[in-house]
Formats: sequence, structure tokens, C-alpha cells
Amino acid sequence: MQPRPPRPLARLNPTPMKSLRFLLPCLLLALAGCVTAPDPRESAALAVLKSDAGLREKALACQQLADFAGPAAVPALASLLAHEQLGDYARSGLESMSDPAAGAALLGALETLQGRQLAGVINSLGVRREQAAVPALRRIVAKPGHSGAAEAVGALGLIADPAAAQVLGEILRTGDQALRETAAHASLIAAERLTAAGQSAEAAKLLEASLQAVPAGPAAEAARRQLALRRAS
Amino acid sequence: MKLSRRRFLRQSAVAFGAPLFIPGSVLGLNGAVAPSNRITVGGIGLGPRGREVLKSFLSQRDVQFVMIADVQETRREVVRVMVNRAYENQDCAKTGEMFEVLGRKDIDAVVIATGDRWHAVASILAARAGKDVYCEKPCSMTVRESQELADAMNRYGRVFQAGTQRRNVDNFKWAANLARTGRLGRIHTVHAGILALEESHQWLPAETQPARELVDWDRWLGPAPWRPFHKDYINGRWRGYFDFHGGAALPEWGAHTVDLCQWGASADATVPVSYEAEGQTIHARYANGVKLVMRRAGFKGEGDWKAPGTCPVRFEGDEGWVEAADSGKVAVSNPRLLEGGAPATMAGTDPSKHVRDFLDCIRTRGQPAANADVTRRGHIVSHVAAIGWRLGRKVTFDPQSETFLNDVEANRMCSRARRAPWHA
Repeated sequence: MQPRPPRPLARLNPTPMKSLRFLLPCLLLALAGCVTAPDPRESAALAVLKSDAGLREKALACQQLADFAGPAAVPALASLLAHEQLGDYARSGLESMSDPAAGAALLGALETLQGRQLAGVINSLGVRREQAAVPALRRIVAKPGHSGAAEAVGALGLIADPAAAQVLGEILRTGDQALRETAAHASLIAAERLTAAGQSAEAAKLLEASLQAVPAGPAAEAARRQLALRRAS
Repeated sequence: MKLSRRRFLRQSAVAFGAPLFIPGSVLGLNGAVAPSNRITVGGIGLGPRGREVLKSFLSQRDVQFVMIADVQETRREVVRVMVNRAYENQDCAKTGEMFEVLGRKDIDAVVIATGDRWHAVASILAARAGKDVYCEKPCSMTVRESQELADAMNRYGRVFQAGTQRRNVDNFKWAANLARTGRLGRIHTVHAGILALEESHQWLPAETQPARELVDWDRWLGPAPWRPFHKDYINGRWRGYFDFHGGAALPEWGAHTVDLCQWGASADATVPVSYEAEGQTIHARYANGVKLVMRRAGFKGEGDWKAPGTCPVRFEGDEGWVEAADSGKVAVSNPRLLEGGAPATMAGTDPSKHVRDFLDCIRTRGQPAANADVTRRGHIVSHVAAIGWRLGRKVTFDPQSETFLNDVEANRMCSRARRAPWHA
């Protein structure tokens, strides 16, 4: 099989801007990502999603959008998040997109989804490190028996900003016993990321809290080792 | 009772606090190694290749294999019978639920030989559960999974050995040593044999799904996207499909050969910085100017390779070259390079020394030949090269940040969303 031909890059619309009255709305539209000429690949994939094509074709369209789609694809992908078979495919399109609209769509879906679809969206918010999701994740964690609680704790570990670390610390200190082990594992990742961001003190606090919160086992061992390495360095 | 993933994660604290239990069945076996000093091993997803690796574990006197988890009843039964025959007892347990293996406190290490889609996630879950891991290759589907896998092993202090056994096969070791010790002069080019690059998005026609006790299709898919059941997938014919086979099939052999080139080029601590596809050949270049050529090889002697066998590699210096392949033989530019003795002939597919290396490191807590960091970079090279091939243009990669430079589209291809609820 030969490599695919290079994919054409999206082009900016060269329409001249002659007056401030014209310029302002254009700038606003540009901010919204709307003056970029549609990438023909994106248009084609979106057309498949809007058509009565079969599951395989729509799944492939979502995967293609994961490679190159911009914010124009967000509504179509978000509308599929609850779909039993296509939900994960659609989420892949949103997870990889750096545009904030993708994160907003995932965050907005938290209230509407359940079960696996909800778990997937929570995880994608973590992978994207959506700091805006921390309050919503905190609410999920705080609800006793919430089906997405473990995933939310994991996502907080991936987000790993000071706000997420604070929630993890709360779970470790006062949270549901069943979630503390999950929080200890999540805190290990959070501590690594906080350290990489220059927030070593917060990282050490989380690791200390983990040691206090969980019995001997892999999470506690790993926290102890991380702390020892910090002291040694 | 079946353990769900959620219950396993929640109850792991309790499990780790449980008293150590050594089954009475392990007492008195073999005689040479006291049961308390044996490494207790479980298996996850052992198909044909996994069972070859299992043979190497079963032949070790200081190993006790105690449980197999597989989503296919026929496969777990084959393994159970094989283990019981080897030990002349009936003690090997079987389950369709890998968390039952991971939840057993008496299991020290796991052998993972599922399809590629599961390798990284299962390995990471095993590390979280405190197990050392021997995982078949390719160990990752993407660049991100390569990173996550190594990070998890380091985070939990686990011994990890990728099933890239050629690092412990005599002729490959000998060839790499020749390159690394200057016998070939300054190394300027290394060559890795790869299979045809391919990437299919087809689905096979839907078939009636078997009963879950016989084949757990949902669990077989695991982190891979949903598609309808077809028996070909579960019978090993899942390769070549984008959803199940990462890196456009380049890591299939590249996990071995690219990894060996990293070794031969003394480049285990880095990766090439540029990659450019030319048909089925990918030319990469390290920051120090050394070239890595990934080019066709195959089961029928494809490509211009001098050493016979599959998975060939070639190391070229300014004073000579050497090739090694799965026949166990080497080819050299000058017979004088063979002075001091040619390597013993050992099949490139033989994992026995690699398994022993893993077991020794479990005891010493040392780093085996194909450890997590080596595997991370070797696999990243394969995935990055495949992304360049997919894009059909030159790509530039930063070894430090492990990201493409100024290339949003290529960076998006470094990761895939996993099917819920699976994550690392």
C-alpha cells in the first residue's frame, strides 16, 4: 500500500477587509474559528455524519475528524456522544481537538450522559486536562455512590492543577473510603505533573496525604518511593 | 464471583492487606526450589504466541504458574491443561476475568499476550496491582500509550520486560555488540526490517455473537472502538485493522528491529529527529546524523538482506557492516569480524533467555534488557515513523518533549481515545 497523498491544509479566506465595521465582526468570527475556509476533508466527514450512512462509515468519519477537525465539527460530534456504538468514536474526535469548544462540549455532556458514555467523557476531560471541569468533577465525587466517581477521581489526577490537587487531597483526607485508594493512585500521576509544572510543594503534600489515607500496597509504596526520591534529589 | 474493574480498583486496598496465601498445591513440586522462593506467575490472554512464551516460564524451576485469564474459554482451557500437564497436577485456575489474576496477592508477575489493543492498559493495571510484567509486543497502540506504559512501570517500581526477545538472542546481541564496541568503526546507518505498512478501516460482516461465557466480545474489544463480532478477529486475524493494530503495522516487526537498531546505534536514550517516507521505506535521522532506514522484509525473503530469516537488522559503520536475522545467523562485511567466534545459533523467536532475564530481574529488582524505558523509545520511533507515512510528508520530532515540532495534525495522531470505561 502506498502512503496517502498529503492532505491539503486549511486556508484562510483572503477576503479583503475594508472598514472597521466589516473588520470587527470578522475578527469575532475568526475567534470563533468560522472564517477559516472549511477543510474539504472535514466537510466530507461531516456530510457522512449527517447522512444516513451506516455505522462503519460514520465511525470512520469520526476517526478522520479526530485527526484534523476544527470547531465546526463539534456540534456533530457532540450529538453522537450518547450513541451506544458511535459515542466512543465521536468522543475520539473531541478528545484530540485543541479548540476549547471541544472541551466545552464534553463538559456540557456530563449532565446528560450515564454509564459508559459518562465514564468516557469524564476520562476525556482528564486526558485534555480541562481545568474548567474541576468543579463539575468535584460534584460528581461528592455524590455518594455516583457511577462516575472513580472516573472523576482519575480525571482529577490527570488534570493535576492546584484546584484538582485540592479535591484529591480532600478525598484522601475525608472522602469515601472506597474512593481513597483510587485517589491515591490518581495522586501519583498528579504529583508527577505538579512537579513538572514547578509545584513540588503541592505534589509532596498530595503524596503525604496518600500515605496517610491508604493501607500498605502499591499506591502507598509508590508514594513513599516518590517522596524518598524527592528528598534524595 | 466475577470481579468488575470498578470493584477490583476499589477493593485492591483490602486485597493488599490480606495475608499471604501460598496454595498447598505448590508445595513439593520439582524439589529444587522451595515454594516460598518461587516466583508465582499468572497469564492474561495467552494465544499461540503467548503459549510459546509460557513454555519458557514453565521450564523454569523457580516459577509456579497458577492462573490463566482469557476472554475465550477454549484458550483458557488449553492453557490450563498445558500447565497442569507440565506440573502433573490439577491446580492451575482459569477465569474470564483478568482482575481475578490481578487481585491475587500471591501472584508476583503476569505474562500478557493479548492482542495489541490491550497490551498497555493491561500492563498498567498490572503495575497498579503491584505485579511485575512480561508483555508481548507491540506493547502500545500509540505514542501516548508508549509513554503511559513506561511512566506507570517507573511510578510503581515494577520490573517490565517487553516481549522483544531478540535483545536476548545470541546473534542479535553479538551484532549489536559489534556495532556498539567500535568494531565496525563509526556507525553511520542502521537498517530495520519491517512488514508491509497497511491500515484498514474495514469491518468484517457481523456474525452472531457467542455466549459471553465462551467469548466475551466486549472484553475482547477492551479499549478498542466497538465493532460487530466476527470470528476471524478472535482467531488471530485482527492484524492490519487500524483499530487493533497500532502504527500501520510498522511496530509488528519494528518493535523488534527498530528497537535493535536503537541498541546498535547506542541510541537507547533518544529517538530520531526526522522521518520521511518513500513508498514502503522510511528514512529517519538521529540528531547526531546517524541514519535509521526502516525497509521491507518479509516471510519470503523480501528485501535485499544478507542474513537469512525474518526480522533482519543491519548495522553499518565506516569500517564494515553486520546483519542478523531470525535464522540465528549473521552476515558480515569481512570474515575477520568473525575472529573470536561466531555467535551460537538460536532462533530469533526463542524467548527462553529473555524470560530468564525477566525472572532474574524480579529477584534483583534490576532492569531487564527490554525494560520500560528502552521499550518506550523503541516503540515511539515505530509509531512516529508510521505517522509520517500516514501523512505522506516529512515530520520532525523532538526527543526531549516527545512531540512533533510545529505539527498539530501529527501530534493529534499520537493518541487515540479509548473505549469507555477503559483508561490508564
